[in-house]
Amino acid sequence: MARYAMVTDLRKCVACQACTVACNAEWDVPAGYARTRVRTTPITGTFPHLASSIYVAQCNQCDRPPCVEACPSGATSQHDNGIVGVDKSLCIGCGFCLEACPYDARYINPATKKVDKCDFCVSRLERGAEPACVITCTAHAKYFGDLEDRQSDVFKMVYAHGARRLETSTIRVGPNVYYAGEHASTDLVLAAFPPRPPRLLAAGQAWSRVLRPLVLAAAGATFLGQAVAFFNQLRNGEKDFED
Amino acid sequence: MRTDAIPVHPLPLTAEQAESMLQRQVKKHHIAIILLHWFNAIVWFFELLTGLALISSPLFRVAPRWYISIVDGVFGTRANMLQFHVALGLLWIGVYLVYAIFGFRTYLSKEVLRNEIALDLDDYRWLVVRTRRILGLTREALPPQGIYNAGQKLFAFMVYAMIPLVMVTGVVMAFRLFGTQVVGWAVVLHFCAVGAVVCGLLVHVYMGAVFPEEKPAFFSMITGTVNELYAYRHHFKWWTVIKAEEQAWNQQHADEAVAPAETARPGSSSADREPGCPG
Ligand code: HEM
Repeated sequence: MARYAMVTDLRKCVACQACTVACNAEWDVPAGYARTRVRTTPITGTFPHLASSIYVAQCNQCDRPPCVEACPSGATSQHDNGIVGVDKSLCIGCGFCLEACPYDARYINPATKKVDKCDFCVSRLERGAEPACVITCTAHAKYFGDLEDRQSDVFKMVYAHGARRLETSTIRVGPNVYYAGEHASTDLVLAAFPPRPPRLLAAGQAWSRVLRPLVLAAAGATFLGQAVAFFNQLRNGEKDFED
Repeated sequence: MRTDAIPVHPLPLTAEQAESMLQRQVKKHHIAIILLHWFNAIVWFFELLTGLALISSPLFRVAPRWYISIVDGVFGTRANMLQFHVALGLLWIGVYLVYAIFGFRTYLSKEVLRNEIALDLDDYRWLVVRTRRILGLTREALPPQGIYNAGQKLFAFMVYAMIPLVMVTGVVMAFRLFGTQVVGWAVVLHFCAVGAVVCGLLVHVYMGAVFPEEKPAFFSMITGTVNELYAYRHHFKWWTVIKAEEQAWNQQHADEAVAPAETARPGSSSADREPGCPG
């Protein structure tokens, strides 16, 4: 099975936004929302030693995706090839996954009220095409391929040229989007856009921690009580009247 | 016709009395209610079956993985399963709406609510005695009950409170209304409301379908009638009401039986007659 990954070379990227436009067009992303966006880190340092980096944000198709666990209905799931997909027909728009994502890579489409995010253009992959952002990248800064294929560009970028995952010491969910470039640049990106701890909405916390155990205990207790009453009945042969 | 005084407390019956009461059926449920009850039961069966499988996250699910896989397999895709769940739920709401529109005058009366939901003093005592009997602490007789016993009333109250909640939260999820926060809580409330009903159902279905003493009640949900002995033994206060109605009806018909002779004489009315003469 493949393990799909993407590498963005921050040295080549010129922040032209061609990828964003291609993505929006490919997926009918409503205005004001995005599956991918190109951002820049705040400028640091003092003149003339200024530093800034470009950051291309998108869903990281994490190895251990917190969004999958948070999705009650199973609309969000991880495919065998590593891609985290959203089955729109199962999405109920509860928003649990938005809170769970450490990279805030998801949005609720206001028209469908369902969640949407980058899925490496899985429908394009199925017809043998590369993701829309990769083929439109004017600087050829984006690489897409299979990390399990030693001949692939992404394999070389990750294992020979040291492309990095955006992980911190505490948030390590195994993102599969890598960033190539100067270490200093990726450090700037990590400092400006660090992954945050996955959150569970209050409703989800109440459900998971309190209400599920409570309902299970209540149903279990009723069932047991019922069973005890039943066996008492059998044992005593109690019968109020014969009919 | 002789009108017997209706006893205030259940009296011991002779074997013949019991036998003749066993042979007489009295009406308990209207056909519309019987149909609604079984439609509702079938809907709950399928909604629970699919609903359990729809919650798949390890954080929230209550059904084991293998169960979810089986139901997934039956429906082919989870999307089909959700569609089925939602479509059946909407049909269920539709049927209840029809009943609500045509039936609210009949069923939302104070009298029905008092008889079928509100607990009276005997009901509270019944709950205590029933519990103590189940625990084997007493063999004391149960206090007399109305058309439904206190347990049934509590169950009905919970069901009537939870069903609208299940409907509203279901619609909120199905159409993703009012934003993610509301939908998020709707999922949770939907689950809890159903959980409460399921706890009640464990007892309800056992009492309705398994418990030997309540067999007549089970058949009453098919035929609409129970034998009079069951009414006397299990729902004594209801029995006294039926008895009183029966006697009033008999009285009236006995009056009518003598009426033809009198209708020939205009101006006369039944009030002229001596009280208690018929029979
Ligand atoms: C296989 C499933 C079921 C069986 C065998 C069953 C059986 C019965 C029977 C025999 C009665 C008549 C009781 C009497 O006249 O004394 C009844 C009443 C009733 N049933 Fe069910 N039932 C089932 C499912 C359900 C479900 C799923 C619900 C609702 C969620 C429900 C709600 C009620 C209510 C509200 C009443 C009115 C009396 C009461 O509160 O107990 N039933 N049922």
